[in-house]
Amino acid sequence: MTGVRLENISKQFKDSTALEDVSFAVKDGEFVVILGASGSGKSTILRIIAGLEVQTRGHVYIGDMLVDEYEPRDRNIAMVFQSYALYPHLRVYDNIAFALRVRKVPREDDPDRYRRRTREEIDDRVRRAADLLGIGDTLTKKPAELSGGQRQRVALARAIVRDPELFLLDEPLSNLDAKIRSSARLELKRIHEQLKQTFVFVTHDQSEAMTLADRLVVIDHGHLLQFDTPENVLSRPANQFVASFVGSPEMMFLEGRIRAANGGFAFELDPVRISVRGARAPGPVTVGFRPWDLTVAKTAGPGAFPAVVRGIERLGSSDLLFLELQGSGAPGAPAMSGVTVRAMSRAYEYEVGDSAGVTLAPDRALFFGADGDRLDELEGAPAGP
Amino acid sequence: MMPRRRARKWLRLGRRIASHAVLIVAVVFALFPVYFIVITSFSKIPIAAITAQVLVPKVSQLTLGSYQQALSGQYPAFTSLLENSLIFAGSAAAIGMGLAAFTGFALSKFNFPGRRSLVYFILIISLFPSFLLIIPYYFMFAKLGLIDTYPGLIIPYSAGAVVFAGILVKNYMDSIPDDIEEAALMDGLSRTGAFFRVLLPLCYPVLGLAAFLAFVGPYTDYALAHVFITSSAKETLALNLYNIATTDTGASNYGVVTAFAIVMSLPIVVFYMAFQRYIIGGLTLGAVRG
Repeated sequence: MTGVRLENISKQFKDSTALEDVSFAVKDGEFVVILGASGSGKSTILRIIAGLEVQTRGHVYIGDMLVDEYEPRDRNIAMVFQSYALYPHLRVYDNIAFALRVRKVPREDDPDRYRRRTREEIDDRVRRAADLLGIGDTLTKKPAELSGGQRQRVALARAIVRDPELFLLDEPLSNLDAKIRSSARLELKRIHEQLKQTFVFVTHDQSEAMTLADRLVVIDHGHLLQFDTPENVLSRPANQFVASFVGSPEMMFLEGRIRAANGGFAFELDPVRISVRGARAPGPVTVGFRPWDLTVAKTAGPGAFPAVVRGIERLGSSDLLFLELQGSGAPGAPAMSGVTVRAMSRAYEYEVGDSAGVTLAPDRALFFGADGDRLDELEGAPAGP
Repeated sequence: MMPRRRARKWLRLGRRIASHAVLIVAVVFALFPVYFIVITSFSKIPIAAITAQVLVPKVSQLTLGSYQQALSGQYPAFTSLLENSLIFAGSAAAIGMGLAAFTGFALSKFNFPGRRSLVYFILIISLFPSFLLIIPYYFMFAKLGLIDTYPGLIIPYSAGAVVFAGILVKNYMDSIPDDIEEAALMDGLSRTGAFFRVLLPLCYPVLGLAAFLAFVGPYTDYALAHVFITSSAKETLALNLYNIATTDTGASNYGVVTAFAIVMSLPIVVFYMAFQRYIIGGLTLGAVRG
């Protein structure tokens, strides 16, 4: 059991930069998820920790040990690959036992010398790992005879059996059917709680990231954007990219200005007025709202955006309305057509083409500056009369 | 609904008949010469069945005499010839296959400058007829004192085998995902260890095919052996086959020649049957998706 720390890691490939100055530290026993779109560099981080790839700059520490010069086999890390990478020529049992047979352990009488594990030791550990994952009945089969879910469990068992210092998981659930995936997710969480070991998990699936992570690393184009708990990433995103990337359905953004008003400041985008606390100067700003912070009504009352229903997505428990905001029509008001927002609502009350009114919850507003970073000091409040 | 389905069924049957007909013609075409060799070898009349225009010989015309003569009436002894052939071909297969495994590994899984050009270079080399090399080989090996020695033939045979087999293994290894090798590295192996314990076992099918090809070439080689072997003690089956076929009198005993050829081909058949599973797997270059 041990943590892992990345210090100013950069990775340059022949003609592209995969990672730029990435630093974060995973605590002992923590489950950290690296979330990013494909090509964001998230797998490269994992491969650098594993030692399969060598960073161009920066340092990797496992525990307190600087491991930059260590071969993968000397880092005592287990990795689960997206493809599972089971050995096709070996039975499940031998797949799981493989690392135990390869690695020697210190001798009891003389810790400076090493010995091979005995057949009984190996058998005992293989069976315990197989039991933990419920694959005891597949041990004599070849990987090709297994279902996707079983292969994934074998890959996990192969990692667990070694009792490594650190688990690296590269999108291990992405090749599973949607149905198995959610149960595999819960099982992975259960295994982590049982083993209490350090997990670093890579995914592009944000709901997977939100459910699994103790803390979340959001990465885009090789840059670390935010490293925080899922709750904070959701409620206090570091910038506009994180705000739109994390959270489903996607956040809505309105561009407008902060103006001086009534001795304070307010965000005004006709017909909406939000009083802004903490603002020091007027200027352009982008305001974001989560879909669940929007209220949809049949008619646009005062302070509500008139909108037209453009699409309805029935998700079962809640429904999703795609609404196109309309300008207020007042002279001087900005034309709003083209801004589509998603709102959770009782969709059965609406049909495509209906008009509706969208009200925002001012205290839920997130403010973003021109550079995309969230303006942490700004806070929305209902505007006074 | 029904007639349409029935029509499709007939269509499928028709297609199957047509494809079988084509295959049967191909098989007959391929096996007919072999058949003639077989009946000639068992015939009492020492002329080729094809010239005698016998399609189905009578039982009374059959004899094992040609086989007896082929196996015991030769100089050097048949066993000595077989031994030499097996030494040459077996060594070439073993060495060629071993080198091909490393060549394929290097060309497939290592990134080094000029890798692509090297692959093309090897491919181009394999296009040149090997006969071109006989004369330079001779001068080279004569200087090295390797004429009429076992290494003198095993070296060029192995070298010839490794060119094609190396490419074969490379292509096969390309189909093995890098993940599998990386999993082995994470499991605690060095690259060498991963090669021997994971990649190599996965390559058995293609290595079987490579070994087979590396065996058959030298086993049936006449040209290079004819130039390099000067003493009868190192004579091979293929050389001797030619010697039997061309007698001083100019009249060949076709019965003995064909009998000799059939006995000579048996080791290849045995080899093929023993490794058939691997050889066919190697030919189809099966994907190893775990």
